[in-house]
Amino acid sequence: MLKTSHYLGIDVGSVSTNLVVINEKDEIVDKLYLRTSGQPINALRNGMKTLYQRLGKDVKISGVGTTGSGRQLASVIVGADIIKNEITTHAIAAQKLVPEVKTIIEIGGQDSKIIILKKGIIYDFAMNTVCAAGTGSFLDRQAARLEIPIEEFGTFALRSKTPVRIAGRCAVFAESDMIHKQQTGHSVEDIINGLCEALVRNYLNNLAKGKDIEEPIVFQGGVAANVGIVAAFERAIEKKIIIPQYYDVMGAYGAALIAKEEVLKNGRSTNFFGFENTQNDFRARSIECNGCSNMCEVIEIVSNDAVVACWGDRCGKWSSVKRENQSVS
Amino acid sequence: MDVKVGIPRALFYYQYYPLWKTFFEELNTEVVLSDYSTSKILDEGTKSCVAEACLPVKIFYGHVMNIKDKVDYLFIPRFTSISKKEYICPKFGGLPDMIRNSIKDLPPLIDTEINLRKSEKNARKAAMEIGRFFTKDERKIENAYKKALESFGEFKAKVKQGVLPSDILDKKLNVIKKSNEPELNIAVIGHVYNLYDSFINMDMIDKLRKRGAKIITVDMVEDEIIKRNAGLLPKKMFWNFGSRAYGSSLHFLEREDIDGIIYLMSFGCGVDSFVCDLAERKIRKTKDIPFIVLTLDEHSGEAGMDTRLDAFIDMIRWRYKNENNVSAYG
Repeated sequence: MLKTSHYLGIDVGSVSTNLVVINEKDEIVDKLYLRTSGQPINALRNGMKTLYQRLGKDVKISGVGTTGSGRQLASVIVGADIIKNEITTHAIAAQKLVPEVKTIIEIGGQDSKIIILKKGIIYDFAMNTVCAAGTGSFLDRQAARLEIPIEEFGTFALRSKTPVRIAGRCAVFAESDMIHKQQTGHSVEDIINGLCEALVRNYLNNLAKGKDIEEPIVFQGGVAANVGIVAAFERAIEKKIIIPQYYDVMGAYGAALIAKEEVLKNGRSTNFFGFENTQNDFRARSIECNGCSNMCEVIEIVSNDAVVACWGDRCGKWSSVKRENQSVS
Repeated sequence: MDVKVGIPRALFYYQYYPLWKTFFEELNTEVVLSDYSTSKILDEGTKSCVAEACLPVKIFYGHVMNIKDKVDYLFIPRFTSISKKEYICPKFGGLPDMIRNSIKDLPPLIDTEINLRKSEKNARKAAMEIGRFFTKDERKIENAYKKALESFGEFKAKVKQGVLPSDILDKKLNVIKKSNEPELNIAVIGHVYNLYDSFINMDMIDKLRKRGAKIITVDMVEDEIIKRNAGLLPKKMFWNFGSRAYGSSLHFLEREDIDGIIYLMSFGCGVDSFVCDLAERKIRKTKDIPFIVLTLDEHSGEAGMDTRLDAFIDMIRWRYKNENNVSAYG
């Protein structure tokens, strides 16, 4: 069988590392949602290994795009054709699946975003500022504290009978409020539902402040799996919310779509190192530079004893020496 | 040996340094600046300052720590007002007291009050008072002040022509790799000490330039335009920065060549918290122009700043590509 052209999108986020492979018709042929578990390099290598076992013999990767907070790191390990911020990739993916989309709610591990589209282009966006209340990592923590698997967290909220008000301004206060309510005897279901409502309130007050949330509304990112949050959103804005089929890997899907466009536009061959090469030994090494009082925390990515990439220095003393294989945008 | 006057490279340094430098040098003193902001300076500032203060004030503390042992005097004037009938942030008014009460072993402070609320002529009075620290010769002080005003005028004129104060003050060569894309005009609203201290704002200016942006700031807008625009508010603005931010927002909206507006604020800034909201409402209501608020605080991770700048520039370019019917995702 002849190997057909495929494109790989990688989204290395704070909580999950996602990989998506699309074909020339922009259809997803395989996707992986993996926990980053604080070790992005390992998560990525495991993901690449799994993809290789599942598809390696049948597909040829003709383009790679990376996104997420670990987009640079991912690019160094796999060889990306384009490195893109997650606002753009999320918007592109949502538009592919819901072409008329006007509002994108995206809640991931550490970031939450709102993206407003008009006439098919990004018109406005906002990200959470100094507060991570309401993002996936906070929900993860609360689920762990209550000893409820995160997958079932949302269904608990749906079983709530009496509303309980939880403070949503701040994750620390939300937690102490939850504990207080639990000690006074409220049911876990009601408390979880109160938490979902608090987080939605926080999102709408902080991110969506002054923005028109128009339909179609797409909700994506890991937290979209939480039916409690989805229900709380629908109650609060009194509009219907669409959860796309691939809600949990939309960033990676967008990155794959951009990679395809980039490679086809320039008619060049991919920078992809190949599945086998991602199994090389990659290690991140951090050094504190003592060159000046900035004391930059410089990160070096080392493969087979050679430094393949370097960043984190303000002056460029370390990073400028390394090859600049692509511009970050 | 000349008397050494120390000036922390922070807060109003970015607004008045050419004035101060000439004035002190004309009085035969040696001006000593603290180093450029670094994480060590921020670290020391955070340790010596009250937790409630904003990031720029904490950085100022770090700069004081950085030079206090190298100079005979520290110049920390008590700024109450820098313009008629307007005030500035009260932390400027209390700065000499805050510094005195939290940092030990300080050289004598030159903490003359600068209060132009009733009359801008009070600036001269303040200059005379400061001059008396070094000489009894009133004519010499008078002369130094005149020369200082000349340098300050030249500096302001250059800025109004479109040169960034940081490019003039830091004299750093800007070796910026130009983007291949068409140049965008990005207007940035913010306090001088947030806009021009590349450490505080994580190199925002250069990052934007690398992405093909030309920077236009509040300080480049003519005073008359600001005055006229701010006068459109139903009530006179209390803060000097408020009227400048609002007045220049209106100006940026009137200009056809501005591609996007950024409001840079520091977390916990009282003035910013409502001036930003006022400006944002006006901007969004008036014109369909890309706008974003960026908030600065002590975090050292640059990913958040980079992602927002990338997405902001992408958004603008995507709009233009769409208008020209070129299919591309930015």
